[in-house]
Amino acid sequence: MKIDHIVKSGSMTVTVSGRLDTTTSPELESFLDNNLSGITDLTFDLADLAYVSSAGLRVFLRAKKAMTGKGGMKLTNVQSGVLDIFEVTGFTDILDIES
Amino acid sequence: MKAVKKLRSNLVFIIVSSIVVVLLLFSTIVSLIGFFIFSDTIKSVYANTTYHMALTATTLVNGNNIDTYLASGGTSVDYKQSENYLDKYCDRMGLTLIYIIKVDTSDYGSFTSVFNSVAKDAPYTKWEIGYQRDTTNQEYADTYKALYSGEIEYGTIYRTNNLNGAPPHITTLVPVKNSDGKVVSLLCVQRPMQELIDSIQPYLTNVIVIAVVLIVLLSVLSMIYIKRQVVKPLRRITAEAQRFASENKSGEKMGADISRIYEISGLADAIDKMEEDMLVYIDDLTTATTEKERIGTELALAGKIQENSVPNTFPPFPERKEIDIFASMSTAKEVGGDFYDYFFVDDDHLAILIADVSGKGIPAALFMMVTNILINDMTRMGGTPSQILEFVNERICEHNKAEMFVTVWLGILEISTGKLTYANAGHECPALMTDDGEFKLIKSKHGFVIGGLEGTKYKDQEMTLKPGDKLFLYTDGVPEATDSDENMYGLDRMIDALNSARVKDPEGIISAVRDSVDDFVGDADQFDDLTVLCVNYNGPDPDNSRTLVTDAEVDSLPEVMSFIDGFLESVDCSMKAQMAFDLSVEELFVNIAHYAYPDSDGQAEISICKNGDVVSVTLKDRGIPYDPLKKPDPDITLSVKDRQIGGLGIFLVKKNMDSVEYKYEDGHNILTIIKRI
Repeated sequence: MKIDHIVKSGSMTVTVSGRLDTTTSPELESFLDNNLSGITDLTFDLADLAYVSSAGLRVFLRAKKAMTGKGGMKLTNVQSGVLDIFEVTGFTDILDIES
Repeated sequence: MKAVKKLRSNLVFIIVSSIVVVLLLFSTIVSLIGFFIFSDTIKSVYANTTYHMALTATTLVNGNNIDTYLASGGTSVDYKQSENYLDKYCDRMGLTLIYIIKVDTSDYGSFTSVFNSVAKDAPYTKWEIGYQRDTTNQEYADTYKALYSGEIEYGTIYRTNNLNGAPPHITTLVPVKNSDGKVVSLLCVQRPMQELIDSIQPYLTNVIVIAVVLIVLLSVLSMIYIKRQVVKPLRRITAEAQRFASENKSGEKMGADISRIYEISGLADAIDKMEEDMLVYIDDLTTATTEKERIGTELALAGKIQENSVPNTFPPFPERKEIDIFASMSTAKEVGGDFYDYFFVDDDHLAILIADVSGKGIPAALFMMVTNILINDMTRMGGTPSQILEFVNERICEHNKAEMFVTVWLGILEISTGKLTYANAGHECPALMTDDGEFKLIKSKHGFVIGGLEGTKYKDQEMTLKPGDKLFLYTDGVPEATDSDENMYGLDRMIDALNSARVKDPEGIISAVRDSVDDFVGDADQFDDLTVLCVNYNGPDPDNSRTLVTDAEVDSLPEVMSFIDGFLESVDCSMKAQMAFDLSVEELFVNIAHYAYPDSDGQAEISICKNGDVVSVTLKDRGIPYDPLKKPDPDITLSVKDRQIGGLGIFLVKKNMDSVEYKYEDGHNILTIIKRI
């Protein structure tokens, strides 16, 4: 998994590529813990995210909870396989997803 | 020779010749008796007249003068006169000889001639007076003595042989007495027997002629009678019997008036009646035989249909290396009530069943066909064995007027895992060989027979077959096979036979059991249908399965993932399905890594295999027993605020897989996930 991010005046775009699984999600989790302060608009670019497991979902849910009241969070360029997982778990109802 | 032989066995010849022989014998005996009586009478009459002739002749001689005549040599006038009378008397009376002799009374061995008159044409020389001669034979000597002593009045001697040329004759001797009544000489009269013979001859001729005429007449008459009343009717009866035997058709009735003889007319009557009865019988028999043939043909065809209603090509699934199956069904009659079946419900599930309908023959066969199709259809539609049996039971009970029932053992084997789910409706317990051990009966609770009671419930039971395990199913025809002494084969012999062949393939095992049953039964008839089925579970196909054993730690996840991906890529799995498996395996493995071994390090075993287009993954660990499936699903409709951070993993597995099952067995947590790819 690879994490890139661009920060522009309170808004941050995080590009997650590769596989977001049990072994890799703690990395994303700690990245977010360290970089979310002062961010009011969080965007995930998931164009190259091929795989997400429940550990990854957990990270997205924590991020969403953390952003609640601070500003918006959206997921963009979600691949169909990953989107399926979001749909199955009801995440499409609580996350702002653009595919 | 042939003609003579034929003649000898001819009825007319036998009867007529018997009559001729009897008549000949009879007439000969009668003629002989008549002849003897006749000739005796003639003889006594003849002898009597001769006696009177001799008596008369004695009056011509003076007995007082015999000695004087001898002394003077017959020169006296008196002698000459007597001699003259005697000569004339001899001629006139037709005698051959009249002679008077004086016998030497000392021994009666010789005599002296006194008178001797010879007939003119008699072949004798006249004895002169005083001529002495020895007595001719002892008969004469005895007669002389009897006459001299006065014992007899006269003597008669017949001479028919040893005559030295003289004709047969009769000689009558009378004593010549003097005035004192003393016998002084004997007067003998010889008379020829020609007269006697002449009177007997025509009698004999008559008797013979009459006998011959009678014999001929009787023979001809009896011949005609026998021909008309016996031979001709018998020939007619024979011809009719032969005609009937060759034609088998009714002919003209012979009738009772064929002969006046009761026995023969009775025979003709009986043959007429027999023909009639026979025709009716032949007719019945022909109808019965045709019917029997028709039923036989139909039964044979029905047997073929039934035989082919169960799978009978071996190996049945040559492309499936996970299982070997062999089965055999032999019916006691043309058709039977046993059946077996096996088929893939889907690529990973093999249904196996064996069943035995109550009774035998056609009713059992009809019932068997219905049940077989019902179970097959229901199984293919899905459901557990108990559900299938319950449904089939309801369907059968609805229309079971004949009160028949069927015992069924139905199992569904999950090929990828070896899990066997089965239900037993009153059937014999199968035998299982596991862990390379010996065959043992799997004693489990039976449900009631199918068709017995509406609403019967069945219970699913489970066991896991390990690679190399063999399952043997049979009907009661095996343990109840009976030898000629009414002994039953029994389960112990069956288990022994199974174990004697335990290392063999299903075909070898079945042939061992069948041979053992055949040896036991010997010449006794097969009483019940006999069906056997054997499945050898080889485990997942090694070409389509892999196993990984690794440390139960999160750090091993990449290894696990590349193991799963490597396999799925090798079997051309779709990306989507691969992701579903990745997701599920990750969740389950992480679960094990986190919770299975709280106080120690442990390992996890992950097996993956593909059957057709179904992939299954089994995760095993020796950790604390824990069923993750029991955890309630998260509520995915809650708001972000209320959403739990965790708990999604198992939910994701359930959502992504077609089937997820957990069990705890032999100290292992075993979790199996299955999905069609």
